[in-house]
Amino acid sequence: MSDDSVPLELPLLRLASGPSEVTTLYRELRKPLLRYLVCLGLSSDEAQDVVQDAFLSLQRHLASDGIQDNIRGWLFRVAHNQARNRQKSYHRRFSEPLDGEMDFLADDATPEQRVLDKEKFRRLAAAIRLLTESERECLLLRAGGLRYREIGEILGMAVSTVGDTVERAIKKLAEKCNV
Amino acid sequence: MCKVQAKLVAWLDRELSSDEAAAVDRHIKECQECRGRLATYKKVSETFDVYCDAVVTEKTCPPVSRRVAVLASAVVAAVVLFLAFLQKPVGPPPVLTPTVAATSVPVPTLHAARPVPRKTIRRRRVVPPIQERAVEWRPTETAVQIAIPADAMFPPGAMPKGMNFIAELSIAADGSVEQVRLRQ
Repeated sequence: MSDDSVPLELPLLRLASGPSEVTTLYRELRKPLLRYLVCLGLSSDEAQDVVQDAFLSLQRHLASDGIQDNIRGWLFRVAHNQARNRQKSYHRRFSEPLDGEMDFLADDATPEQRVLDKEKFRRLAAAIRLLTESERECLLLRAGGLRYREIGEILGMAVSTVGDTVERAIKKLAEKCNV
Repeated sequence: MCKVQAKLVAWLDRELSSDEAAAVDRHIKECQECRGRLATYKKVSETFDVYCDAVVTEKTCPPVSRRVAVLASAVVAAVVLFLAFLQKPVGPPPVLTPTVAATSVPVPTLHAARPVPRKTIRRRRVVPPIQERAVEWRPTETAVQIAIPADAMFPPGAMPKGMNFIAELSIAADGSVEQVRLRQ
């Protein structure tokens, strides 16, 4: 995803008390947020809309002297809830296997290596389809670099439950994928 | 089964307390099975991460779009080349110098006296056939033979079936029919 895929203009954010701080947050968290939302099943356009809305909500949140602790977790939670409201079958697409030409694979990979990689991704896609929704969400948020505590806050789960869920999901994938 | 196995993923994610992490550290130095599991979990996590990137790439820039973009670029390039080819011959008018054969044709001399028209493409289309006609056509020779069924010329029953006529047309230099001769 290119840096130019999302316009950087957020007029309301410029009016926020700390424009440079918000801009920094936007640059830092836009990509992880987009990745999380697209992997949840939103289209690219939907994901970009949700990210924009989340940052506008952040601006209002900061302007009303809202809690400024763990802005990253706050943004993910807002984006997650907006995605849920917006996308009725929001986990459907992520569970679909990637049947494209795998252009993202390294160009210098040998044909044999490409075949192996494609097969590996197919197995992984099949294994992901077998995960529960919470397991998938936990893994996605974990892949976004969030701590168990943050994941628990976003999904409304206890930290210990998040740990158990992540462990169970990883073991399922390891068993099915045989990577 | 080791009790530590349930903590391996959390250990990878650095989610254990320092005491728990130290215990796992000690254990995996001695337990080959747990080291293998750790390697597997790490690999799965990395593959999942790459897969997420692949999903994003696939959704935001599908291969079909990329192919369409390449195709569109090729079409644009072809159109540009075609337009450039059309623009190129606009320079000197190629038809203004009458050939020896064309001197007998009155039209080219009229054209030579005219100013250069705005639409050179149109002029190019008009003039060359005249030159060609003047060079290749010989007024004294029979240029065209047309076979005409007898039924088309006489009432039914007036001529035996299967009889045809040949019409020989002599064409003048200006393209008009100079002489028509029918023969059987």
